[in-house]
Amino acid sequence: MSAGRAPAAADRVCRLLSRQPLGGAYALLTFGHPETAQAQAGQFAMIQPEADTNLILRRPFSIMDTDPLRGHFTIFLKAVGPGSKAVFDLREGENARVLGPLGHGFKPPSPGEAAHLVGGGYGVAPFALFSRHLKKAGVLFHLFYGGRSSSELPLVAELERRGIAMTLSTDDGSRGEKGWVTAPLLEALDRTSGAARLYACGPAAMMHAVSRIAEDRDLSCEVSLDPWMGCGIGTCLGCVVKIQEPGELKPKNRPACTEGPVFDSRRVVWPH
Amino acid sequence: MAALKIDMTNTPSLALEIGTLKLKNPLLAASGTCGYGVEIAQVVDLSTLGGIVTKGLYMAARDGCETPRIAETPAGLLNAIGLQGVGIRAFVSNVLPQLRTYDTAVIVNVCGETVEEYAEVSRIASDAPGVHALEVNISCPNVKTGGIAFGTDPAMTHEVVAAVRRVSRLPVIPKLSPNVTDITVFARACEEAGADAISCVNTFLGLAIDVETRKPRLAFGTGGLSGPAIRPLAVRMTFQAARAVKIPIIGIGGIGSASDALEFFIAGARAVQVGTMNFSRPNVYTEIEAGLLDYLKRHQMSDISELTGSIRYP
Repeated sequence: MSAGRAPAAADRVCRLLSRQPLGGAYALLTFGHPETAQAQAGQFAMIQPEADTNLILRRPFSIMDTDPLRGHFTIFLKAVGPGSKAVFDLREGENARVLGPLGHGFKPPSPGEAAHLVGGGYGVAPFALFSRHLKKAGVLFHLFYGGRSSSELPLVAELERRGIAMTLSTDDGSRGEKGWVTAPLLEALDRTSGAARLYACGPAAMMHAVSRIAEDRDLSCEVSLDPWMGCGIGTCLGCVVKIQEPGELKPKNRPACTEGPVFDSRRVVWPH
Repeated sequence: MAALKIDMTNTPSLALEIGTLKLKNPLLAASGTCGYGVEIAQVVDLSTLGGIVTKGLYMAARDGCETPRIAETPAGLLNAIGLQGVGIRAFVSNVLPQLRTYDTAVIVNVCGETVEEYAEVSRIASDAPGVHALEVNISCPNVKTGGIAFGTDPAMTHEVVAAVRRVSRLPVIPKLSPNVTDITVFARACEEAGADAISCVNTFLGLAIDVETRKPRLAFGTGGLSGPAIRPLAVRMTFQAARAVKIPIIGIGGIGSASDALEFFIAGARAVQVGTMNFSRPNVYTEIEAGLLDYLKRHQMSDISELTGSIRYP
């Protein structure tokens, strides 16, 4: 398995092929978009309905799955504000403006390394696609999927259907282990030996906690940052995050859309 | 009534010249919405644009404002980016060689904290092969020194524009701030100082508040409002500026369609810039160009310049 070269992005109007409600504000949406269908795990697409709304900016959505041969991709969506709500409300057959695939995805583990994937809330989305790629490459991996309550783990059935080994946790104990998603991660790290790499996507506090665990144990860790984003291609500079590369005297504001959204956690200046 | 004898097989002309600046069409990408051009080249055919106006450049690199830097408001975008940029020398040596390979005009947006800095950035940009014009940024509301301070005092506007004029043979195009009582005073100051055209207008100073935290939605506090929300304000200012001066006006403000652009031409603009809409519809240029050509044919005009200032105002 190789990260390879990221496919070129394309901006086109495309059709919503299927819409699967997952209860509450959650849904899986599948679009026909041949370029984004080649996305790597951790990449994203900027999406808005084609029909005029009062909104100007597209919103970024992590790619949850792809079908490269048929030219489809799927997002796992939570309607949180007016922009994501507008996409959530799209009906099958309606059109959206989609620009993707964008950004840099997760780097696969080195040979012999296991992968621990830590997803919080709708931040679990890229790990569905990443799991598929890891499985295909024969990499040993485990998913830790946490949320505030069972209603915030709407992707469990879909992930179980794919046979993904995972440990669930909720803050209120309504599903899986009670407590933060980092607790079962720590247990697993204590239990296992051998080289491992951590990957985290979810709330900033969760990613910060995972990055500290990685630092304590001298493990590599990648995090997928989720700042407010305007354009997705590095022109508006609205989504900058503080990143300090080796050899730099101080952190610099770098656009998450083009230099991320996935970053080596050691380069991120927390809290971002 | 006899039919008009007009050869409708000819495509109307969209080309124009502002001094030595030759534009194949009057559609420019506005400063701060297209990076340095090369960023959008991955998804946009730059040859469909008359030109691009770069992100504002100072002498030194700048890291810009803290985040959040953008907030969406009804039909508008409030931003305080703070002119993050690589600096003029890095632009000339690292970006321009690639940018000038595209078939589009390159207009460098010049910034400064002092009159001397404006002049020095302008001199360096003017000496670089592949720069076709200078847009003088006297209107950024999101920096603590310079920027809007030069664009809200007519004497300072004159001083900056004259200083840039002295060091450059390229067309000089000051970008006006709308945050003034009478834009015609500033348009005249630019013309008297030797400007070749005027960009009209930059963002409107705004403030959006998160009512739960009672804090501004932007880290900088205030920001600049752009997008369709400001279009009627910008069309009005284009109309006023065009009547006040003889030099061409480049209209800017919430343009996302041919119809939007036409309003500016009719109000008095000779060219237009697309700004905020670049973020969501970077390929809108071909659609706008087609719409302009269709309009000119329907109205039996052979050149878009016939439209400039053709408003039937009471």
